[in-house]
Amino acid sequence: MAESAKDKVKYKILKALDVSGFTAFDPVIRLIFGEEPQKQLQAIVKYLVIPFFFVLACLWIWTWMGPRHKTKSGEVPTPDIVWESAVINDTIADREEIKEQDFLLEGVEREAALAEVTKEYAVLSEEVKRLKELVATAEAEKAELEAKAIGPIQEKHDALKAEYKLAEKERDEGIAAISEEVAAGKADTASLIAAIRDDGVATDAERAELSALKSQIDEIRSQKYKPLEEARKSYDKVADAQFFMKTRLEFLDKRNLTVKLDEAQSKLDGYMTDLASAGSAKDALKIAKRAVKAEESVDRLEGQEYASAVTIYHQTKRSIFTVFVGFFMAAFVAIPVGIMCGLNKIFMACLTPIISVFKPVSPVVWLLIFQIVVGAFFPDPENHALLNFLNELPLISSLEINPALIFSACTVAMCAVWPALVNTALGVSSIDQDHINVARVLRLGFWNRLFKIVIPSALPLVFAGLRISLGVGWMVLIAAEALSSSDGLGKFVWDEYQNGSSLTFANIIMVCFVVGIIGFLLDRMMIVLQRFVSFDGGGTSV
Amino acid sequence: MIEDRYVELFDVVKAYPNPFGEAIKVVDGFNLLVKQGELVSVIGHSGCGKSTVLNMIAGLIPISSGGVIVAGREVTGPGPDRAVVFQAPCLLPWLSCYGNVMLGVKQVFPDATKAERNQMVEYALCAVGLRDSMHKYPKEMSGGMQQRVGIARAIALRPKMLLLDEPFGRLDSLTRMELQDVILNILNFEKITTMMITHDPDEAVYMSDRICMMTNGPHAKVGEVMDIHFERPRDREEIMETADFYEYRRRLLQFLDDCEKEKEARKKVKAG
Repeated sequence: MAESAKDKVKYKILKALDVSGFTAFDPVIRLIFGEEPQKQLQAIVKYLVIPFFFVLACLWIWTWMGPRHKTKSGEVPTPDIVWESAVINDTIADREEIKEQDFLLEGVEREAALAEVTKEYAVLSEEVKRLKELVATAEAEKAELEAKAIGPIQEKHDALKAEYKLAEKERDEGIAAISEEVAAGKADTASLIAAIRDDGVATDAERAELSALKSQIDEIRSQKYKPLEEARKSYDKVADAQFFMKTRLEFLDKRNLTVKLDEAQSKLDGYMTDLASAGSAKDALKIAKRAVKAEESVDRLEGQEYASAVTIYHQTKRSIFTVFVGFFMAAFVAIPVGIMCGLNKIFMACLTPIISVFKPVSPVVWLLIFQIVVGAFFPDPENHALLNFLNELPLISSLEINPALIFSACTVAMCAVWPALVNTALGVSSIDQDHINVARVLRLGFWNRLFKIVIPSALPLVFAGLRISLGVGWMVLIAAEALSSSDGLGKFVWDEYQNGSSLTFANIIMVCFVVGIIGFLLDRMMIVLQRFVSFDGGGTSV
Repeated sequence: MIEDRYVELFDVVKAYPNPFGEAIKVVDGFNLLVKQGELVSVIGHSGCGKSTVLNMIAGLIPISSGGVIVAGREVTGPGPDRAVVFQAPCLLPWLSCYGNVMLGVKQVFPDATKAERNQMVEYALCAVGLRDSMHKYPKEMSGGMQQRVGIARAIALRPKMLLLDEPFGRLDSLTRMELQDVILNILNFEKITTMMITHDPDEAVYMSDRICMMTNGPHAKVGEVMDIHFERPRDREEIMETADFYEYRRRLLQFLDDCEKEKEARKKVKAG
């Protein structure tokens, strides 16, 4: 009995793997449950270990080739640098969160935090000082070493330079002498030409020799001195942490919300007392005007939120939200229209030209069109009722919905609508004649026929279409965001490209992976949905 | 009176236009009377238009000329009073057996209470021997089981006439025999007027009250009608042992053979 319960668990897991499309892990589960270990091990080697090593090989090729390709933005980053940049982005996000907390802290807690951070800051400052000295010594060491290595070459260089200068002078004099002789008719012109030519050749050779020495020196200078690199690295790390503590101090003290509010309030109170004891009408008016301004600033401060820097997580969330908005818009149009197309040939004929012409249009064109069209609906986005309403809803309020998000979503919808529409129409129109006969014999009415026969039978194809739509939408979205500066992963990439910091290239490649993995997960999600709705147990490709 | 002329096919013609605009009469002047509660088999070579006749009675394809009257009403289109069991089970794969049968019951008996409908569906499924697999899905069942659901779906509608279009054509011979008995058992209780298309002489003789033999198409019509005088309920082994069975069978085969020979002759004339 226990055996069968175990089997039940096993088959449940296997079913889950099958539905989610991770059948490659099937033998692992079977091995864990001790089913034919020999066979499972073979399968694991074939379908998991070999692919794993293939991926490793790809990473190795990447690591090997990256530094060998110099670009304007530095070397192509290797996987470890990309990983580092991911960690840095994660740290940035964490710190933003801490800063926000600091910004909102009040009363005793704020003071406690302030004390702690001050202490930490002091410790870090000491550390920074120490490390700075280490860097300085390392720099000095490097300079010494360099001087030792460069010294003889430099000497040689200088000596040669002086020598060549003399030689050149001599040659110039020789040429001048020949030219005078030629002018006097004592020598022929050919000898003058030859002399000038020889001079050119000699000068070039001398220059080449000098520059070879120079580049030797440069090479030595550009060589990395390991202790210095390490010292700099640890210094940078601590200095970074110290700077963060400094900002925290600001947010706990001067820039803290309650502190700012108290300040404004006390200012206002001061004006009020001044106003009560104002000597003249003129003074009273002046003070009253100030008081009104102070009042306004208190009001403004009360509603203030922490202005967080955009983090990769925020951008990712926004992109996913946008793609779903667009996707649902597309599905909302594509499914009913597709069903009508499938049911009615005239309707299909009407829509065919529209589908054929608009389907191949590039997302970029749609983006520009929607930017203009949607922009017209939001002449004053700050005070638009719909946007304000959306931004007050729970869960999505942090996403800051703006016209840019809406037209990005519209672009996604416009490009994603076609696969869903065409597939739905195909699914509805290719319904089995037998099933139609059943409906005819039963004399099912239009709605019954639609909901009991047509839609269930078309559902697998509808979902196949939706799956393609979501994939297309996700690809389009990143491009649209990059182009329209609508917050999201696309904008993140674009900003990185424009900023040109040392991490630019690594960040872009990191986003490449983020986009890829999210796209993969979205696709998997659609596969699972498709499997659940398809009555035939639907074969779905990976 | 109506009992004797429960189903009447009068000079039924089915013509399809060929590409040159000439009407090709696949079925030409098909006449048949079926008594109430009778099981009539239609047998003939494949392609002779058996299914066409059945589909015309079902109303699934329009009749070119002539008329079909079922229980005093002329057929103008498909309807649940003439339930069809197709050659393929034609079950809706997204519904369970129960759901497939219930779909029709709900449509035909809109005024029945939920309990009544439930009872009708369960009765039909029990009658075909699917008491234990009521909530299975078609893909989980064998072809024979699926065809049982098809039969249950048809009889649950309480039709005036049951139309069986080679219902066992795709089944192996053991399953076929089982299902023949399933249908005969149901008909013993329900006495539904039935028309069955088949090309299996044994099956026709064993199951039918009368066998209607069709000539080869085009211009197919009723060639001969043979009464089968076995008592009901029938027992397969008993019947198989009688000499009558073999005589009926011989006559059927003879007819089919003659049809084939005539066709050959016609072909020769045409070629010559």
